[in-house]
Amino acid sequence: VHKKRYQAIWSLTVCILPSQANHTEHHEGRHYSIPLEEVKAVFPHGLPYRFQQQVKTFNEACLMVRKPALELFTYLRNSNFAHPAVRYVIYGERGTGKTMTLCHVVHYCAKQGWLVLHIPDAHLWVKNCKELMQSSYKKERLDQPLQASTWLKNFKTSNEHFLKEIKTQQKYVWGKRESTEQGRPLGEVVEQGLARVRSASDAVGVVLKEIKQQCHLGSFRVLVAVDGVNALWGRTTLKKEDKSPVSPEELTLVYNLRKMMMNNWNGGAIVTTLSQTGSLFKPSSAYLPHELLGKEGFDALDPFVPVLVPNYSQREFESCYHYYLHRKWLQHEQARTEAGKEELRFLSGSNPQQLERLAGPL
Amino acid sequence: MCRRVLSKCSLNTSRLGAVPTALGSLSRCPTPLWVQTLSLTPSLTLPCPSSMPSPRVLSLSPESRAQRLPLRSPREGAAGRHDASPQPALLGAEQTQGPQPPLQHLHLHLHLPPPALPMPGAGQRHPRPPSWRRSAQARLRLCPPIVGTEAFPGPCCAEPGAAVMAAALRRLLRAGGRRGAALVAAAAACGPGPQTLRLIYTTTAAWKKNVAASGPEKYTEAFIKKQIEEFNLGKRHLANMMGEDPETFTQEDIDRAIAYLFPSGLFDKRARPMMKHPTEIFPEQRKIQWGEDGRPFHFLFYTGKQSYYSLMHDTYEKLLNVQKHQDQLAAQDLPPQKEKKNLVGSRWLTKTELEEMLLEKLSDDDYSRFIQLLQKLVMMPCGNIEENYIKKFSREISAQLQKVVIEPLKYDEQGVAFSTGEGRRKTSRATVAVYDNGTGKITVNGIDVLHYFPVLQDREQLLFPFQFLDRVGKHDMVCTVSGGGRSSQAGAIRLASAKALRSFVTEKEVEFMRQAGLLTVDPRVKERKKPGQEGARRKFTWKKR
Repeated sequence: VHKKRYQAIWSLTVCILPSQANHTEHHEGRHYSIPLEEVKAVFPHGLPYRFQQQVKTFNEACLMVRKPALELFTYLRNSNFAHPAVRYVIYGERGTGKTMTLCHVVHYCAKQGWLVLHIPDAHLWVKNCKELMQSSYKKERLDQPLQASTWLKNFKTSNEHFLKEIKTQQKYVWGKRESTEQGRPLGEVVEQGLARVRSASDAVGVVLKEIKQQCHLGSFRVLVAVDGVNALWGRTTLKKEDKSPVSPEELTLVYNLRKMMMNNWNGGAIVTTLSQTGSLFKPSSAYLPHELLGKEGFDALDPFVPVLVPNYSQREFESCYHYYLHRKWLQHEQARTEAGKEELRFLSGSNPQQLERLAGPL
Repeated sequence: MCRRVLSKCSLNTSRLGAVPTALGSLSRCPTPLWVQTLSLTPSLTLPCPSSMPSPRVLSLSPESRAQRLPLRSPREGAAGRHDASPQPALLGAEQTQGPQPPLQHLHLHLHLPPPALPMPGAGQRHPRPPSWRRSAQARLRLCPPIVGTEAFPGPCCAEPGAAVMAAALRRLLRAGGRRGAALVAAAAACGPGPQTLRLIYTTTAAWKKNVAASGPEKYTEAFIKKQIEEFNLGKRHLANMMGEDPETFTQEDIDRAIAYLFPSGLFDKRARPMMKHPTEIFPEQRKIQWGEDGRPFHFLFYTGKQSYYSLMHDTYEKLLNVQKHQDQLAAQDLPPQKEKKNLVGSRWLTKTELEEMLLEKLSDDDYSRFIQLLQKLVMMPCGNIEENYIKKFSREISAQLQKVVIEPLKYDEQGVAFSTGEGRRKTSRATVAVYDNGTGKITVNGIDVLHYFPVLQDREQLLFPFQFLDRVGKHDMVCTVSGGGRSSQAGAIRLASAKALRSFVTEKEVEFMRQAGLLTVDPRVKERKKPGQEGARRKFTWKKR
């Protein structure tokens, strides 16, 4: 009897939903899995580290369908692409699932055939940079070759077919001997950036510019997905050679990305996430947009649509619990009891991250 | 002139336990002791140096001696000087009062054992008190006076921490009066004749007594009575000091006043300053058991344990009484009385308590025999007759009879039942309101529990009472907590929530909670750091050389 009930609940909560666009409200709380090849293709660099480990352990990638994601899907479906791009800011307390929601949206859009510009964590661009070079393009800006090249590599993996389609609209000169003619596919720019690491940041800038210029034509939709967008308007921990601090505008990557975030283009959407975890100089209790973005960022992103991601509801918690149970992740015999479930609920406070960490040793 | 007179004066200063410092201080002393004392009586003329024959001891007239000497031996005097130990700081303060230097020195004299040492060639020889021993060691005849900076002799009282400072003040005044009188009398006595005052210095060996050999201190009745008088007077002074009515000043008020005036952080309550009735401080002692002719009063005196044997005798008499009563009832064919005294909540006297009652030592065997006899008495059917007698030897065990009142549930505006509880741990204090019909949401100081206690361990502590009662998701909780660190705050909230949950739960479960330790205050606090060690237990690194 126990097994039957367990299986029934399982089918209610965990099911291999078609990973297509038809996730509606009654799917809420359920998990759906993504085939592993797709994961490699769509998310070369997007998923949180712990989730990647879980994918490796379970040999499958299962995401939970939650309300914020469904909300975003309705917005995206109903958005008018003739109007300027709408900005969506996903915010919430620590560990509630903002990045996962973003990944869900990315996957949804990728399935729909959008061009996805996914920046996994903007905070990585403003801290811990070993090599800072002076930009050849503009004297006062600083390049970050390593970060730019990693991003270009991942961008290439995720959007192969677009790179062949989009053509450059002007000539770009990279150095004395290298240049890209007009009309060449964007893939060449990316190759150039990867080959010549010195100009990788400029290559990124070129890519962004081209995409922005061409997306209003309507042949493809663009989704700009930025995680940790508050890094773009915060402070950096980088220092120039004369030990003076670097402000974000002086970084090429950040500068170009900021231009992308403006709503002066149409034919796509901008979905961003605020993140306190990687943020610099922000207190750990801050999670609201104006706290994390600061005045500058808020003004830059204003107007935007805020999307709050809360902790698990009762149903979502049960679903997650049963998923772990089904996957035989909870080995402790008391974890299988009702009392154990209540205990997990109490101790994690229905916070997804806490639950995941708690369930680990069990 | 001053110095010459100084050399020829004799004044006994003894009790030089801490002499070196006193001597040292002397050299800085502006005016010698005896000059100041003599200044009390301005009518005296200073003796003319040239006319001084052999030196003589001042004030050794019997009257003055009688007035001045304490009625007890120096050892007793030390024992009785429990008032000497009020905080040195306090009396130090009194010492520094400007206008009273004479009193200060007179006070010093009070605590000195009686002077001795008739001088060679002195016409008057006075009987020395028997406890006074000469020492073979040097007695400095010519010695500058000592102005003791410490008014109190080194060896302090036997009773731990007893303090009667008002009595000390009175003692000061009285001493001053007495001493002054003595001096005046002495001076008057030796007034006309040539005065020779000589200072005598004796070593401690002269009057030190073998403490161990003398046995426990003996308190005379007069001494106890005097202590009681002083206590009562002191009580009135204390009441005045605290601004309360002396007539209605109870022992609790005294305790509170002393705790306020002498705050102490010592853990052992018996080590703290206390002011109690002398009967509580001085243990009872047996009076002399025989009369003037040497004949003992009690007929069992020569058994050696008269009180014990007389007690056994009385108890056996009661037993025989009961048997006789029983036989009478049997003879009249009446059924014996069946009401038994309920022994459940009571216990017999312990051996120590019995010893205290009888004022003599017992052996374990004796004690057990007595208890067996009492049991036998109680077990007999008509034992109830002697209930009064038995009551003297039994005590109620009151701890078990205390019942903790569990508050009933309260209802707030929405009609939701809730109950409050308070808890503490180390230095944290927590108050908690547990609401019924909840979802397991917990708010601490207005902050969600996940944010306030990011560590899992603290949240587990909060979970424990609910999990124990299987009510994990059923209650909401609103807490306020202050003080301590994260772990102690969690412990305090746990205790408070357990106490609050008592109202929701049956008595049996309350008992289970108590046995699980959920309702007990955790007594562990930070242990004090000791001097000479780095921490409470850790010693400094030991270096071989």
